[in-house]
Amino acid sequence: MGYEMLAYPFLFLAIFFESFVLVTFLSKPARAARSRASATTTPSVAVIVPCWNEAGTVAATCESLLALDYPKELLEIILVDDGSTDATPQAMARFADHPQVRILRKENGGKHTALNAGIAMTGAELVGCLDADSFVDSAALREIIPCFENPKVAAVTAAMSIHEPGNLLQHMQNAEYTFGITLRHTLASINGLYVTPGPFSFYRRAVVLELGGFRHGHQTEDMEMALRLQREGYAIENAPLARVYTKSPSTLLGLVKQRTRWTSGFLRNVLGEYRGLVGTRKYGVLGMLILPTSILAVGSSILLFVVMLATLGHSLITALQVRVGIPVTYAFLPHPGAFDWFYLPASFYTLLGVVTLLTSLSLIVIGKRVSETPGNIGLGLLAYSFLYGLIVPLWLIRATADVTVGKNRQWRG
Amino acid sequence: MSLVTRNVIIAFGITIVLAGTIAYVVNYLNNARIAELSTIEDQISIDTLSLDTQFSLLETAPCDTAASSSALTSTLADLGTRLSYAENQLGTDNAQVVRLKQQYSLLEIRDYLITKQLATACGEKPTTVLYFYSNAGDCADCDKAGYALSYLRNTYPNLRVYSFDYNLELGALQTFIAVMKVKNDLPAFVINGKHSYGFTSLDDLEKLFPKGSLATSTPSKS
Repeated sequence: MGYEMLAYPFLFLAIFFESFVLVTFLSKPARAARSRASATTTPSVAVIVPCWNEAGTVAATCESLLALDYPKELLEIILVDDGSTDATPQAMARFADHPQVRILRKENGGKHTALNAGIAMTGAELVGCLDADSFVDSAALREIIPCFENPKVAAVTAAMSIHEPGNLLQHMQNAEYTFGITLRHTLASINGLYVTPGPFSFYRRAVVLELGGFRHGHQTEDMEMALRLQREGYAIENAPLARVYTKSPSTLLGLVKQRTRWTSGFLRNVLGEYRGLVGTRKYGVLGMLILPTSILAVGSSILLFVVMLATLGHSLITALQVRVGIPVTYAFLPHPGAFDWFYLPASFYTLLGVVTLLTSLSLIVIGKRVSETPGNIGLGLLAYSFLYGLIVPLWLIRATADVTVGKNRQWRG
Repeated sequence: MSLVTRNVIIAFGITIVLAGTIAYVVNYLNNARIAELSTIEDQISIDTLSLDTQFSLLETAPCDTAASSSALTSTLADLGTRLSYAENQLGTDNAQVVRLKQQYSLLEIRDYLITKQLATACGEKPTTVLYFYSNAGDCADCDKAGYALSYLRNTYPNLRVYSFDYNLELGALQTFIAVMKVKNDLPAFVINGKHSYGFTSLDDLEKLFPKGSLATSTPSKS
């Protein structure tokens, strides 16, 4: 009971935030965004594909961009080889003669430098980014463009999900990304986004140049740019039907490394240069609710995990101590019997956790419906229910420790 | 009022309603558990009284009802398990739990006395175990001893195990403890009248039982 008391405030906070997302999803601005009319203009667009050792996927990424439903003369694709040491240049060379594709090879300088180099090559009104391990739906760009009809909008994000999830870990990530679709769509309707992800986010080129281009941003240039846009008073929109599929880590280690980078980037940006946004009324819902909640979520997830470990550990040790010397067949095998409601473990703590999980699952299902993403999410929901809460603290703890001691890690490796 | 403020207020309201509903459900379940325990206790109370009355009416032991006495002990054991679970859920200080424990202890003493009477009158030799524990934090081995006894009771259904909270404030129990001469050195066992204190292992506990008493078959009549 003692440990559980610590978790209550954070479980309340989780339920509150999920309720807020659901209510906002049903509010007028989000409803209007879901029935957004087609674009009245057709601006020129450049999609930059920054690559560093992406020989295996860059061709398919480029093919998916060439298949976009958009006037060919208004769409250019810029493949930027950021000093790859694998066969990326050869993979890119396939497109050398394509009239829509331009190829740039530069020394390795990081993703932000590749994006800036791509932007410098184009005069397009809108510039987009597509990570070289991602693939777009052919209608995605058509969904993005109408969001820019509002002159305040400087960036638009897409609806991401996992490309061909294979194992349970990838299905879990797919459910998480689908949760993100609901979250991004809902929060965009009240201008609460603080990240414009690498897979298929678009920007007004003039605004990016006005703000000085992309920065390193603690290895999260997409988050840094979004926070800078918000600080300068621009809006960030979302197109929930702009479907984009991205490859995901297939191993736990790979996932933890990726997310450690994201989380430490978030903490460093928000607690560093963009600290002024947190708790400041001027920045609306982002400053007053989203950023404080997100920071608190990092701490609370770690605390909940520790509480869960302590509770489980204590129960396990007690159970083992009590069972020492008792035949295994009695002590460790279940005693089958008819269901008895009397022993239903329905404590306040457990039921709060169940409500939080069920609301999360409903937000995932909503995300799938809103984005009309094909495929079965069943396995993802299952993996999310049983794995997510156990895995997330791994990178949260690692990232928090990195930020605390000032440790910087390589992008890959 | 801005849309965000309105939504924050609504979300806060939903959170309060959800938390309130959960609290209500948990409270409802706990009350239902208490009610269930009360019902079982009432039934056992009636059965015990019935057996007692049979004694008085026949002026001798109703040996043909020995089977029903055994069933009563089994129901009592199930009640004990439920009561222990409810105690974990609601806390040892919960007034209703304490009241139910007092009633349960009384029923156990009654059943023990009837079992002894039946045994004497009908020539049976049941193995009875009186187990005294404490959950006041002063008995490190009580959980282990309790679990080992649960194992023995499940494995040898003919064992009659009676568990008592040594510190429970109940006149009859304190008198019972005095009559049985049980020292405050817990866990304590009285196995067929023989006293032993402390718990080391299941093997050592089994050695305290009379030879042949730990058998899965029905004890033979003499």
